[in-house]
Amino acid sequence: MSGPVSRDEASAAFFDAAASGQLLIRRCAACGHWQAPYTRGGVALDRCAQCTSERLEWAPASGDATLVTWTVVHSREGAAPPVGVVELAEGPWLTAPLDADPGGLAAGMALVVGFSRPGGGEPVPVFRPRP
Amino acid sequence: MAHTDVSGAAAIAGLGITDVGKVYGRTTNEFAADAVLRAVADAGLGIRDIDGLLTSNGMTGGGTFQLPDTLGMRDLRLNVTLSAAGATASAAIQYGAMAVATGMCEAVVYVHADAPLSAPGASASSVYAAPPSTPLEGFRGVARANGLLGANPLYALATRRHMERYGTTTEHLGAIAVAQRAWASRSPLATMRDPITLADHQASRWIVEPLRLLDCCLVSNGGVAFVITSAERARDLAQPPVYIWGWGQGHPAYSIERGCEFGLVSGAVRSGAAAMGMAGIKPTDVDVCELYDCYTFTVLITLEDYGFCAKGEGGPFAASGALAPGGSLPTNTGGGQLSGYYLWGVTPLSEAVIQARGQGGARQAPSHDVVLVSGNGGVLDFHGTVVLSPHTK
Repeated sequence: MSGPVSRDEASAAFFDAAASGQLLIRRCAACGHWQAPYTRGGVALDRCAQCTSERLEWAPASGDATLVTWTVVHSREGAAPPVGVVELAEGPWLTAPLDADPGGLAAGMALVVGFSRPGGGEPVPVFRPRP
Repeated sequence: MAHTDVSGAAAIAGLGITDVGKVYGRTTNEFAADAVLRAVADAGLGIRDIDGLLTSNGMTGGGTFQLPDTLGMRDLRLNVTLSAAGATASAAIQYGAMAVATGMCEAVVYVHADAPLSAPGASASSVYAAPPSTPLEGFRGVARANGLLGANPLYALATRRHMERYGTTTEHLGAIAVAQRAWASRSPLATMRDPITLADHQASRWIVEPLRLLDCCLVSNGGVAFVITSAERARDLAQPPVYIWGWGQGHPAYSIERGCEFGLVSGAVRSGAAAMGMAGIKPTDVDVCELYDCYTFTVLITLEDYGFCAKGEGGPFAASGALAPGGSLPTNTGGGQLSGYYLWGVTPLSEAVIQARGQGGARQAPSHDVVLVSGNGGVLDFHGTVVLSPHTK
């Protein structure tokens, strides 16, 4: 349903890592707080939400997560794949598509990150049940 | 001045509701001007008696800037447009009450108008949909590619989380929709008046799982205005005064990380406690609730957070019939925004004034000594509460 995602300056490092299968998130150099790379609306917060420092650095996440909640959007074309809010092992939440049968989803289920390239664009995170 | 010192110092003395719902061919400013004139006349005042103006806009903003010129409201001592999304109306009453309680103004009008419906048959939801797809660049592109556009999917995420944590079901949500339609069937202001059953709710199509069509509010045109003045002055005016006993706000700014209570607890906890504390009441003192209902789920979580039932028990509480005509807690007695009309926070606020006055006709709640009103905006991001009563403090 979506076209290709392209990079910009702020997302270049994230997509470079994603291309090699690694999920980058933000870590505050001042207080060590882990932060999501972007909000559900796609906003990259430029300060640490814990201590207000601007010293946010990229750091690799383990890729492990648990499911917090999810939804299935319906339209004239039918039901879209489920989209979830996941809690990364490091703590931040990320909103991302789920590569899973919606009927089998439950809060707290273990997930792992993968990446897909919708429309051949940049790789975006997708979470699937941990095998 | 202590918070409680101004409890009951101000009152709502006038209410003006234009034709609402599928009313076409009028601009936002025309609806606003009509509502203001109706409210001022309702109070038994003239437009020259108004020295303060508070306005808010829905999806078709800007029109209310013209109001002072349109209505010849000269030399106002207060003229501000407020924005707290769906919580604006409950906040506006608070600032209006403060303005008259401090002597800044004698009589303040608050008006909200909106005209998102352009013509019969036009898509009611299109004005609330996200703008057409732009190139998907950067993290905003990633977010857009997720497909969670507009409020529906975000409230769906909140609802699903509550379901998973507390066992809330789609049937519980349905009980709220059914109860409000039963109230709407008794209200001449309501857009949707044909009664529905739980089976109708369950048969209505998915919009965004777990929200069905009948879990979602309407889209409406119209305007509603209120006159706020001092308690003393209100007693000499045309309508029974509706005293403003208490108010509060609560805006959680949810963290997006472990421990976040999104979908579980809303700003209604703090807002409700502040408003009820100021009013000197407990949930058991409340006779009527008018709760912001962009979705059935919003009603459910607000009932829990205000303390009308235990956390997680909102579903069974609604399913017990408590909210419906004849129930223990008459709620959204005009049908709310699900079945009445959707003008953001002025829908519950206007119905609260009608109920407090005892002017509800076929939908009048038997007891109406204390009426609790909520506003909710964003995706559970903003919350406001007002406690109203026909009695002085």
